[in-house]
Amino acid sequence: MSQILPVLHILSKVLMLYALAFLLPLAISLGLADGAHLAYDEAILVTFFSGAVLWLFTRRGRRELQTRDGFLLVVLIWTTLPLYSTIPLLLTLPDLSFTHAYFEAVSGLTATGATVLSGLDDLPPSLNVWRTEMHWIGGMGVIVLVVAVLPLLGVGGRQLFKAETPTPMKDSKLTPRMAETAKGLWLVYAIVTGFCILALWAGGMGWIDALVHAFSVMSLGGMSSRDASLGYFDSVLLELIVMGFALIAAISFSTHFLAFRMKSLAAYRFDAEIPWLLGVLGVSILGITGYLLLQGVYVEFFEALRYTAFNTISVATTLGFSTTDFNAWPYFAPLFMLFLSSFIAGSGSTGGGIKMLRAMLLYKQVYRELIKLVHPKAAVHTKVGQQAVPNKIIYAILAFLFIYVASIIILSFILAASGLDVFTAFTAVVAMVNNTGPGLGLVGPASTYAVLTDFQLWVLSFAMLLGRLEFFTLLVVLTPVFWRK
Amino acid sequence: MASGSSLSLLRVAPVVHVLGLVILIFSFTMLAPLLTALVAHDDAQHAFDESFAITLAAGVALWLIGRRWQRELKVRDGFLLVILVWTGLPAVATLPFIIYTPEMSFTDAYFEAISGLTTTGATVMSGLDDLPPSLNLWRHLLQWLGGMGIIVLAVAILPLLGVGGRQLLKAELPGPIKDSKLTPRIADTAKLLWAMYAGLTALCAVALKLAGMSWFDAICHAFATLSLGGFSTHDASIGHFNSPLIEAVLIVFMLLAALNFVTHFLAFRQKRLAAYRHDPEVRGVLGLVLASCLGISVYVWQAGVYPEYLTALRHVSFNLVSLATDCGFASTDYNGWPMFSTMWMLFLSCVAASSGSTGGGLKMIRSMILMRQGVRELEHQLHPAARLPVKVGGHAVPNQIVFAIQAFVMMYIATVVTMTLVLLASGLDFVSAFSAVIACINNAGPGLNEVGPGTNYAGLNDFQTWVLAFTMLLGRLELFTVFVLFTRAFWRG
Repeated sequence: MSQILPVLHILSKVLMLYALAFLLPLAISLGLADGAHLAYDEAILVTFFSGAVLWLFTRRGRRELQTRDGFLLVVLIWTTLPLYSTIPLLLTLPDLSFTHAYFEAVSGLTATGATVLSGLDDLPPSLNVWRTEMHWIGGMGVIVLVVAVLPLLGVGGRQLFKAETPTPMKDSKLTPRMAETAKGLWLVYAIVTGFCILALWAGGMGWIDALVHAFSVMSLGGMSSRDASLGYFDSVLLELIVMGFALIAAISFSTHFLAFRMKSLAAYRFDAEIPWLLGVLGVSILGITGYLLLQGVYVEFFEALRYTAFNTISVATTLGFSTTDFNAWPYFAPLFMLFLSSFIAGSGSTGGGIKMLRAMLLYKQVYRELIKLVHPKAAVHTKVGQQAVPNKIIYAILAFLFIYVASIIILSFILAASGLDVFTAFTAVVAMVNNTGPGLGLVGPASTYAVLTDFQLWVLSFAMLLGRLEFFTLLVVLTPVFWRK
Repeated sequence: MASGSSLSLLRVAPVVHVLGLVILIFSFTMLAPLLTALVAHDDAQHAFDESFAITLAAGVALWLIGRRWQRELKVRDGFLLVILVWTGLPAVATLPFIIYTPEMSFTDAYFEAISGLTTTGATVMSGLDDLPPSLNLWRHLLQWLGGMGIIVLAVAILPLLGVGGRQLLKAELPGPIKDSKLTPRIADTAKLLWAMYAGLTALCAVALKLAGMSWFDAICHAFATLSLGGFSTHDASIGHFNSPLIEAVLIVFMLLAALNFVTHFLAFRQKRLAAYRHDPEVRGVLGLVLASCLGISVYVWQAGVYPEYLTALRHVSFNLVSLATDCGFASTDYNGWPMFSTMWMLFLSCVAASSGSTGGGLKMIRSMILMRQGVRELEHQLHPAARLPVKVGGHAVPNQIVFAIQAFVMMYIATVVTMTLVLLASGLDFVSAFSAVIACINNAGPGLNEVGPGTNYAGLNDFQTWVLAFTMLLGRLELFTVFVLFTRAFWRG
């Protein structure tokens, strides 16, 4: 027990801070008089009070955190905050079960975007703001997680990413202290979100819709204030704006920060992931457009291009907005889009999946193994940019991919055993593990996850956390070795 | 320095010379069905006459043409030879089919032939019960010969080429047994293992005859069992016999064929069962299969597919073992079973078969190493400084090998994903596409839905058929053997 006190102490501080998050929906609720403000009052009280009590009880446990504590802290934060996040949902929607509310909250904080709610257009606007504010905060948390915390913990080859700032640039180090780094990243994140809100408003959305969707886009979450998602607006301009910001959010925020600090676009030229990201997306969009035209889904080229481009970018970056029910397309197209969501997003972005940098390294590693068959004695190094990547990192990445695939297989089996059809099960698991949002089959973009049983929803909540915390973080805490002294 | 094209000729010609020899020898195997056709007075005589003549001529021609460049084959030639053999032999093996049934397309005939030689067992043919016996014998003979080729491939050739971590498997003989080295030369090793293979085939045929099959059926099915191929002389496969005894015999021999033939040889030579105890894969294969049979039969029975548990156990055991060992016989149309059970059976087909067996998939030893590697990584997170080797059967596995195995598995997954997407794009539904790819890359045989055990692969269009034929080849040659041919490094000096 004494072991985890320091961790709980920090958690208590996080909780008390988190209570402030409810202020925004509270303000909006009061301003719009949408009748939900009591829910936020209660949420603030309960959350802050819990945090305060926990703080008092754990005061004596204060000490320096070790590696092991880091894992536990991350897991506790990402499972506890959703717990308190359910309060506004449960109080505003009395018919909502706890399972559904927790699923929605986890989907919010992990910026997945899968929803069990319908009638979104008629929800109190403050509640929709809260849903996507969870996305936005989760996105912030992810940025800190992946750029600062996970490299220190050495998860999934992330040590590489710590160093993976564009190199041949003078004074290119991100400020070395974690707090400084985090603040810098949040500043960029907040500023770009501000621009996104303005752009969406200028593009024709109301202020609340603009706020909700900007939160959703920058965190690559995907929840909307409309059942029909972005399709509700039927506006090419808005779709272009969203695509633009989604791509920005899919690029590493450390790159953005460097560009911001250097006041130069050179940072983008040295980011090894960007050409691949844009290239693969570009080719995929053209290919799928052609495929849909051939299959007769669309008759006009620009119509096909419009819907393909938006939905492909949305799914691939793990955002999850939709402008049409792509579950009705010939399955090759949406399955390929889901496949893209496994690796397109950049390594320091708010997106999910294995990340582009790992995909690039895996590709090069496999090629290296092929070459070794021809020249068994040659020493061939896998390189990114100009740097050779040490074997240790390759090793970790290979293991990461293995866990990724094994998790998908195992979770799909579990869902299939529980009675779900294989197609829905598999696409749902992939969508959760990549934190994308809509799956296919029973959980396509025109439907919600409410059709699933409680057991299936808990499995998928677990899957969302697995993906967001990059597997090892969560799994390590579940092993007996972790808890032995 | 010779120009690029003549350099390639110098590379390819010696290989073609050896290929000619192989085709020449292969042509003589056509004499067996020819004999059968004569004895049984079936009307396929002319097909085998002509096929034999053409194949013999082709073999001799290639052998003569390549004679000028005859030399010792190097490791790199091995890749090319293996591929040419496994694509060339099916090409000539199509001849009896095409000559006997002129309406059969080359695509379909090639698919059938390569399904035979890779011991996959997916078929595009129906009306098997009415086929001339010689033609049926030819199909099953292809599988039996394919099995022989696989044994050599697995135990001798692929380790030399260093594909997919196979260097480990070359050395992975069952533990501390005196005088346990197999003779190092490929030919000698091959001969000994072929002897085991032939002996077990004969035993299987006798057992099947005693269990109630006719001699012809017994021999054909023994060919298909030991090679873990899965062709049958009946459309309904083993369901035709509706005999628990036959199913039991087949389960035993399928499991035997799914174990390492080196282990069989060692046990035979020492006249003791110790070899099996020392082979780490044996425990893995038998344990996994047994546990799955019990678990899945309960699941299927619970789902109400069979009223009695014993009936469920009978049908699940047979079809699960058949799929897990990548054989591919079916005793019932399990396509109607709950998806979880059929998916689990397909999953087993990826991991269960031993290295050094005639099965397919990743092979049990790679699966075991991967699992231990996964656990090691988890522990590594907590103790980054600890040096934890991956151990199998008491020996530590070198990191290089683990690397190679991981890369192999990544390639395997990427191939499955790509092929599934390609088939989807061509219009096939998700379950059919995915299951067909898995069934072909593991050389198992039946998939689900459109290509399930109650039907065959005839419903696919030509494009899909070629994609799956290629997939069968990829699986059998363990991916890298084929992919290496696509690198520039292979063709340069």
